[in-house]
This record gives sequence, C-alpha cells and structure tokens, in this order.
Amino acid sequence: MKRTLTALSLLLALSAASAQTLTVGLDADPPRLDPALSTAFVDRQVMNQIFDKLVDVNENLKIVPMVAKSWKVTNGGLTYTFKLNTGIRFSDGTPLDAAAVKYSIERNMTLDGSARKGELGSVKDVAAPDAATVVITLKAPYGPLLAVLSDRSGMIVSPTAAKKAGADFASGPVGSGPFTFVSRKRQDNITLKANTGYWRGKPSLDTLVYRPFPDGDVRVANLLSGAVQVITPVDPKDIATIQKNPKLDVDTFQGLGFQGVWMNVTRPPFNSKLVRQAFSATVERDAINKVVFLNTVKPAAGPFPPGTPAYSAAIKAPQGDVALARKKLAQAGKANVSFTLLTSPGAVNAQLAQLYQAMAAQAGFTVKIETVEFGTLLDRADRRNYDAVMLGWSGRPDPDGNIYDFFHTGGSNNQAGYSDPGIDALLEKARAQNAMSARVATYNVALGKILDDAPYVFTYFSSNTVGVSKSLTGLKLVPDGILRFSTADLK
Amino acid sequence: MLNFAARRLLAAIPTLLVVTLLVFALVRLLPGDPARLQLGEEATPQALTELRHQMGLDRPVAVQYLQWLADLSHLNLGRSLQDHASVAGLIAQKLPTTFELSVLSLLIAVALALPAGIFSALRPGSVTDRLVTLLALSGISLPSFFLGILLVYLFSVQLAWIPASGYVDLSENPALNLKLMLLPAVTLGVGSGAVLTRFLRGSLLEVLSQDYVRTARAKGITGHFVVVKHALRNALIPVVTVLGLQLGGLLGGAVVTEQIFSVPGFGRLLVDAVFTRDLPVIQGMVLTSAALVLVVSFVVDLLYGMIDPRVRYA
Repeated sequence: MKRTLTALSLLLALSAASAQTLTVGLDADPPRLDPALSTAFVDRQVMNQIFDKLVDVNENLKIVPMVAKSWKVTNGGLTYTFKLNTGIRFSDGTPLDAAAVKYSIERNMTLDGSARKGELGSVKDVAAPDAATVVITLKAPYGPLLAVLSDRSGMIVSPTAAKKAGADFASGPVGSGPFTFVSRKRQDNITLKANTGYWRGKPSLDTLVYRPFPDGDVRVANLLSGAVQVITPVDPKDIATIQKNPKLDVDTFQGLGFQGVWMNVTRPPFNSKLVRQAFSATVERDAINKVVFLNTVKPAAGPFPPGTPAYSAAIKAPQGDVALARKKLAQAGKANVSFTLLTSPGAVNAQLAQLYQAMAAQAGFTVKIETVEFGTLLDRADRRNYDAVMLGWSGRPDPDGNIYDFFHTGGSNNQAGYSDPGIDALLEKARAQNAMSARVATYNVALGKILDDAPYVFTYFSSNTVGVSKSLTGLKLVPDGILRFSTADLK
Repeated sequence: MLNFAARRLLAAIPTLLVVTLLVFALVRLLPGDPARLQLGEEATPQALTELRHQMGLDRPVAVQYLQWLADLSHLNLGRSLQDHASVAGLIAQKLPTTFELSVLSLLIAVALALPAGIFSALRPGSVTDRLVTLLALSGISLPSFFLGILLVYLFSVQLAWIPASGYVDLSENPALNLKLMLLPAVTLGVGSGAVLTRFLRGSLLEVLSQDYVRTARAKGITGHFVVVKHALRNALIPVVTVLGLQLGGLLGGAVVTEQIFSVPGFGRLLVDAVFTRDLPVIQGMVLTSAALVLVVSFVVDLLYGMIDPRVRYA
C-alpha cells in the first residue's frame, strides 16, 4: 500500500513537472462565470483568463488596447469609435468580430438579471458598420465608459456559445482569452487549460486550477505545503510567515478600494453633523495601520487611493484628535454619546471594531460592538437599521465608481442616507466631463463638502496581497487586484 | 417485522411535512435578501427588483410554500438561486463525499473505541482505565477546527506527508482519495471515538456487574469468553444508539471539518447556501438531512433486533 502511494505521488509529481499546472487559492468559490450575471469580485479572477475585453487597464491604471487596437471619442463625448484587431477567434472557432462585440455589449444591457445594466445605462446604441469597427453612441456624455469596458461590461463572449447556452452560459463559458474553460466542481475547483491558438501568444502554463479556501489559515497552509502556488488575499498576520519561507514571497500592491465606517445620518446620534465630526476626529489611522494591518495599508483621506487618477495629495488624512472630538461633542451639547457599531465576523474586523471603540472612548463615546453575519449586515445597512457600520468598497479604476453611488442622493451604496443637492449636482457634472483633470477638479470641490459633512469616515486604503511561490514569474500586478496569467511561467 | 417497517416509514411522512414547514419558515425568518447578496456591490434598485422577480421572491410566502410542496411531491427540490443548478443534482453530487467521510470517520471511531472501552471497563480504576478516560475526555473536549488545523500543520506543513487539502473522487483514484480523506476522517473520528469509548465503558461496566455474568464466571467460563460472548453483546445496545446518532449528525454535514480540509461535501454546500441565502438549496438540504436521520434511526431500530433477540417488533 505504502509503495503504491509513493509510486502514485511520484507519478503525480512527474506529471505536474512535465505539464505546467498552476493552482491558485482564492478566498471564495466564484459564483457565476458569466460577464453579464457576475456580481462577485472573485468571478473576475477567473473570467479575466477566459475572456478578452474590448480594452484593459495596465499596472498604472491607464486604459490600454486589447481587442480594440485603437479608439476615438467624438461628438462631445457621445460617440466612441473602436477599431478592432482582426483574425481573433473564440475557443469554439467562432470569429471575434464587430458583430460579436455588439452582441456581447447588448447582451450585458438586456439579459434578464444582468448586473451590467447600471454601468451601461448611458449607452444608447451599439453599431457594427464593418467587421473591424464598433461604434457606441451614448445618451449623455459618460466619462467612466472606457474604464467600465475594461471590466466585465467589456468582456466579449462567443455569440454561438452564449445563444446556445442561454441562462446556463456560466456553466460553460466560452471566450477568446489566454485560457479556456474545462470544468468546474462547485466548492472544489475550476480548471482551465491554455488556449493554444491565443492571438497574443500561447501561455506558458498548460493548466490553471482555481480552488476556493474561505478560511485564511487554510489558504496559507495550502501555500506553505506546496498544494497551491498562489493565494490571494493573504491575511496581514500571515505575511511574515510566508516571507520567512525561502521558497515563497508576498506581493503587496495598492488596491482600488477604500474602507471605513458609515454613520447613519437619518437617526440619532449621527443625524448631528457635530457628533459625526467628533467620531471622525477620534480615528487614529496610523494606529490602525500599525496594529491591525502590520503596516500593509495606507491611511485614507477620501475615496480615491494613491495612484488612481483622482487621487489628490493635497487632501491629507487627518491625525486622531481627541481634543477636537471633545470640543465638537461639547458644541453639540453632549458630554457622552452611546452608539452601536455594526460589523461582520473575522479576526481583522474584530480588531478594527475594538480599536474604533477604544479610540472613541477617549473622547466620550460609549461604543457597543455588534457582530452579525455579512448578509445580515448588508440587510441592516440597506434598511438603515444601524447607528454606525463598518463597510468598504472593492474599488473601480474610474473615480466615478468610487464616489457617485456612495454620496449621490438615493445612490445604491449610499448606506448613510446622505443627501445634498449641491453634491448631487457636482457628481453629475463630473460624470459628464471627459477630461480627467476637469473631473478631478469637480471631485475635489465635492469632497471638501463631503469630508466636512462626514457621513463616512474613510479609514484606510486596502492593499492587494498575493502569496506566491518564487518559481512563478511573469505575473502582472494590476491595482484592480486581478491576477493575469497569460504571461506567467513556472520554473 | 415488515409491519413494523411499514408503520415506521408511514410515520416518517408527517415528520417530514413538519420539517418542510419549519425549515421554510426559519429560512424566511433569516435576515438578509438573497437578491441583495447575489448582486453584492452591483445592487441597484432596478437590478434588485428584477432579480427578486426572477427568483420568485416577490410572490406571497404561502404561494411560495405551496409551490415548493407541489414540486416536492414530484421529487423536484427546485433550482439554486446562485447558478440555477438543480438542488437534487447538487445534493447527489455532494452526498457520496460526505457519506464516505462519515463512514471512514465512524470506522476510525469504532476502531479506537472498541479496544479502549473494553480495556478500560475490564480494569476499572487501573492506570489504563485512567489513561483511556483522560484521552477520551480530551477527545471530546478538543474542537474539530483545532484538531484539524493541528493535523494539517503536523502532517502537511511540517512533515509534508499528506496534501493539506484537496479531493479526488473515490471512483477516479481510490488510493489518492483515501490519502486525502485520511486527515478529515481522523479529525471527525477522534471526537466520535471518544464519545463511543465513554459509552462503551459505562455500558460494559454495568453489564459486567450483573448476575448472569457472575453466574457465567462461576460456571468456569473464561473471562475473555464472558466479555465477548455474553457481556459485550448486551453492552452494545446503547452504543449502537449513539453510533446511529453520530452517523445522523455526520451526514447532516461535517461543516467545520469539510471547511478546513476543503472537502467539497454536504456541509460546505450548506454553509455556502446559508451565507448566500440560497433558499431552495438550504430547504432541500435540511429536508434531505432530516430524511437521512430518520433512515439511520430506522436502521438502528432494526439492528437492535439482530444484537438483542429479546427485542421484538410487535
């Protein structure tokens, strides 16, 4: 028996060496591998290997060509004309031409239950005047369009496969990307194989396997034991452990999202601006970075992380100021304010909540921490059935995705119930502007007011953390946190 | 016997009906909206309304319940809200894995409990007895998540003997399957084994103190024979009951262990379904678990008759 097992492991090891298989550990099982229906971040990790997009973003968040080799914006920002690369084929042999691009975008706009309808809401019409040209006409100028097309809305699906599969496309997705879908077993693995005819060159890896490990300890144990070669994300506490291992490394790079605390402006105690300002003033961002994140995050002053187009160095993250907090509370006519801070389970969340509690206590706040499972937390946040809630955002390459829905009246992520007609007007204006410099100027005006009104305390910008085997090379680290394996190689 | 079996099976139907009502009501009482959870960061009001309609969640609750019952009568458990997969199909995919894990862990449990319980009961108060009692108590007290992580650390990270996680179908590669299932089965088996040891020891001690055992010994039958032939058989009755309960519990999903070892079984599917509020999957799985527990307790009842001929199915 023992001999059989040894022989078997040897065989497995040999087959792994000859055919390059890379196994990636994710923190969740991607629910839906359909660009239209996908709603989870983790879907994008896998879909980016299967599908090509109209455009992509690079390491510096610049929009770069992908299926579209060039584009121009005319008619006051209302018309986008894309010239496509030719000769591309989907893995099922269907040609990827302008008609396929038109089909994919229209599918995203119309499919029942499509989660892309919102971000493509400004699109009036998609035309394919010839096989290599796509023209998108907008109802109103929409600056974020290219960034939107660098994500799920711009993924091109094989029309043949999508029409045949209907609502079941997610169980057999077909694209033109560097890898093709082979199989999936729910909660166990998703297996992809190299697209040998990939138009940008065959990938070095033969097989790419994604496996879900929701528990951070289990994820890291699998990396340490060599069962997987890449994991993302890495819990802050595990970074040192991985770095101590001579065969492994941790890549930490800036993400696109922000984290912090919403304050419910529709009910006491945070319907008072002074009380909100007081709580905001108690937050010691450097302490959070040091204690909870072991110096792996950056203090946040607003919704735009460093390195993103709308980041402004002029807006500095304030230091914690207990005296100021006390003064604000006194101005509000209160010596002590009690509130409940809502959070979801997890070691990091528990530590964060306790830090907020301790910091606020110094200024006269009594904070009760309530931990509820994430679904319940979202439900209560949406119903505004909370005082303060710890809730962040994974981030989008375009600044609009990090601000509009959060602070616009009735915005889908405006959990505070914040409403200011002046801010609404500014956010709408920025959306219609095409030049980034003009948009940034508009955002900065809006941010000045939002930060003063303080419906949200921006605390930190999270980083993307990837634990990798040193034998892996050529991995591109893009701030959107999606690992691109088309150029990766295992030594 | 046949009569007894038929009556038991008939009695299971109202029990299952009550389970359907309870699980349906409990699942609806959970805070959190499946559509909101599915849409996540993309939950615009329009998308939410559309998705709720698509999921049928905008219909009256009573209509949803009756529809579910009507589907159940055709053995249709519905479709997952997550990816439209058939719930019956998902359960059928996961159940063999969990069944294998349960059986393996019970084998380990019995292999640990039989010798430990017997030795312990034969020499009450001895060093062996105290050691067994101490180990059994530790086994009961050790939470599976801790033992699991400990085993991974020792056998996968430090010694690199067994992969930390992974799963291969038994039919695909039996040797590798057993190798990968070993740590999760041990993790579960230790706890069950400890419980069984305690029960076996107690039950055997009681039986050994009874008159008929003394009589048997007085007749000159050797100790070994008395224990195996006379005492053990009687002592096993409560143990089989506990074994049945343990198996029922394990089939309901070894949630934590499956999570630690990434075994794609029943428990993991259930946790995932609860977190995403995949109502049809939760309902289907709880109902299946209830049915399995009923089946196991039915089998245990039948086993009584084989172990103890005094039991009659009147």
